[in-house]
Amino acid sequence: MILTFFRNLFRDLRRQPLRTSLTLSGVGWGTFAVVLLLAFGSAVGKQNMKSFRGVGQGFVIAFPMSTTLPYQGLPKGRRVRLTPEEIILAGQKIAGIKRMAFEFTATRRIRYRREDVLNTVRGVTVEYGDIRNVIAGEGRYLNGTDIALKRRVCVLGNAITKNLFHEEEAVGRTIFIEGLPFTVIGVMKKKIQTSNFSGQRDEHCVFIPWTTYSALFGDKYIGSFIFQPENIAASKRLIRLVREHLGSRAGFSPDDKDALFVWDWTEFEKSFSIFFLAFNIFLGLIGSFTLLVGGVGVASIMLVVVEERTKEIGIKLAVGAKRRHILWQFFAESLAIVLMGGWLGFLLAALVLRAIPIEKIREYVGIPEINPAVGVAAIMILLAIGVISGMMPARRAASTNPIEALRK
Amino acid sequence: MIEMKDIRKVYQMGKVSLEALKGISLRVEPGEFVSIMGPSGSGKSTLMNIIGCLDTPTGGSYFLEEKNVAGFNFDQLSSIRNQKIGFVFQNFNLLPYATAYENVELPMLFNGKPGKKRRQRVLELLEMVGLVDRQAHRPTELSGGEQQRVAIARALANDPSLILADEPTGNIDSKTGQEIMGLFVELQRQGRTILMVTHDMTIAAYSERTIRLLDGHLVEARQ
Ligand SMILES: Nc1ncnc2c1ncn2[C@@H]1O[C@H](COP(=O)(O)OP(=O)(O)OP(=O)(O)O)[C@@H](O)[C@H]1O
Ligand SMILES: [Mg+2]
Repeated sequence: MILTFFRNLFRDLRRQPLRTSLTLSGVGWGTFAVVLLLAFGSAVGKQNMKSFRGVGQGFVIAFPMSTTLPYQGLPKGRRVRLTPEEIILAGQKIAGIKRMAFEFTATRRIRYRREDVLNTVRGVTVEYGDIRNVIAGEGRYLNGTDIALKRRVCVLGNAITKNLFHEEEAVGRTIFIEGLPFTVIGVMKKKIQTSNFSGQRDEHCVFIPWTTYSALFGDKYIGSFIFQPENIAASKRLIRLVREHLGSRAGFSPDDKDALFVWDWTEFEKSFSIFFLAFNIFLGLIGSFTLLVGGVGVASIMLVVVEERTKEIGIKLAVGAKRRHILWQFFAESLAIVLMGGWLGFLLAALVLRAIPIEKIREYVGIPEINPAVGVAAIMILLAIGVISGMMPARRAASTNPIEALRK
Repeated sequence: MIEMKDIRKVYQMGKVSLEALKGISLRVEPGEFVSIMGPSGSGKSTLMNIIGCLDTPTGGSYFLEEKNVAGFNFDQLSSIRNQKIGFVFQNFNLLPYATAYENVELPMLFNGKPGKKRRQRVLELLEMVGLVDRQAHRPTELSGGEQQRVAIARALANDPSLILADEPTGNIDSKTGQEIMGLFVELQRQGRTILMVTHDMTIAAYSERTIRLLDGHLVEARQ
């Protein structure tokens, strides 16, 4: 019975090759568009999230600048100076801060054998690595002892390692920063980072203990500090608390926005996620509309088919077909076209995705792929459209009056 | 078998209404072979369609095998057509893209007869109408007489007790028509009830009883 049903189904589809192939290609094209758009959308979103995380995760950056408001008798235009001790204290005093870190930053001369370059050197804390996702791929990251003992050790970005050492093993070697020897204790794990602040991207930087930095290069005041809120949603309130605390210590008004230039990365992350969700929905909608056009094509062509096959329907009704037999026959035809077209579209999309030169676009759009989320979304859209576009002609067919149909 | 009382059929076309059947009362016993004659437009096809449960009357009562068909819904009527009635049409009404085999099989697809029994029945019927060797042919590859034999085999698929034929020989030559009538006589011998519309006296002569329709009225005439 089922076998006969399918045999007749495919016989009927083959009987109208032009229509079948037209509708097939309409649905195939729509599916192709949906799948590709969703695949790219989710890849772009993921990739940008990743490169955001490359800078760090859920944190706030602050740069001490100059005051623009008078404060307790002090004139405006004074430089705001913050010592490492103030920042450490603030991190302990202000409730709601998960991690706090700071850095000294400058471009410095770095040498290994005959390689001689100018790169960003950052004097940092242990927490800095956790917040900024500077993770050692080889060797280790800086620890508390390195900082307490002002050790002359460094962690290298993966790119500068390549430039200095080429294929050589870096961990354990000595490099020279402004002529002073440092032992390489670790090399940063490669990370994707498209944005950064004060200096080069982390892959080009050298990270040393801040205590060593301060002792050797004489810096007293930090260049910038960063902190992670315990609760990202409360970042606004926390920034206010930081302004109040540091303002009273370093002499600036908490309302003096320019005294402390604050960059709330958590805000970025939040609006960014929303943006990409909207972006994906938008792409999905565009794709769905393309697919909908395919579905409308199936529905309208099937309506013509029903019209043309009225006589056949009449004959079947005369020999005892029930309404549901006719309904199913035409519904199955539409659905078969939609599913086969969808399958073709999927296949085509998969082939195209495979043919794309991934390496070239990877940094910006990531790796577009038909992941489960994309697949499920596309199939749901496809099924919905299949059912809608199949139901209308099928119901029309099933409501045929047998006598009028036989008269044709 | 058939018991009709005061059957009326009114066609409403906008403001104009046309009464095709004006109170037909008819009784047909099981196993009878009845022919219906009458001028064109007298309502023969309309009556056949109502008897065949393809159409419903606008008035009167109709019992088919003691069942009041008036209260049946669309699918119940489909079921009756499928099980109890076999249709033979003037223009054959075969599916043009389907083979003789598939055409005969068609009524059995709507009552879930299992594949093996279905196949057996199709071959048995094709054998009976002498077309086993033509089973893979499509209607366009068959002569009129052969097409009508396929249609008769299809009508018998679910072994119905009532055969309705609306001018079954109207589109075939008289010699082939005689052959078709041979089949009908055989069907009656098997105990089936047959109602047949015809314009041809020689064809009507195969039946036991002829009734005449005239402008929607029934005029019975014994042979
Ligand atoms: N669907 C319809 N709508 C309106 N009028 C109809 C319809 N079907 C039939 N009629 C009319 O009903 C009358 C009877 O038609 P019917 O087809 O039953 O005649 P008939 O006796 O079979 O004629 P013929 O010998 O030409 O086949 C005719 O006047 C016809 O025009
Ligand atoms: Mg007629």
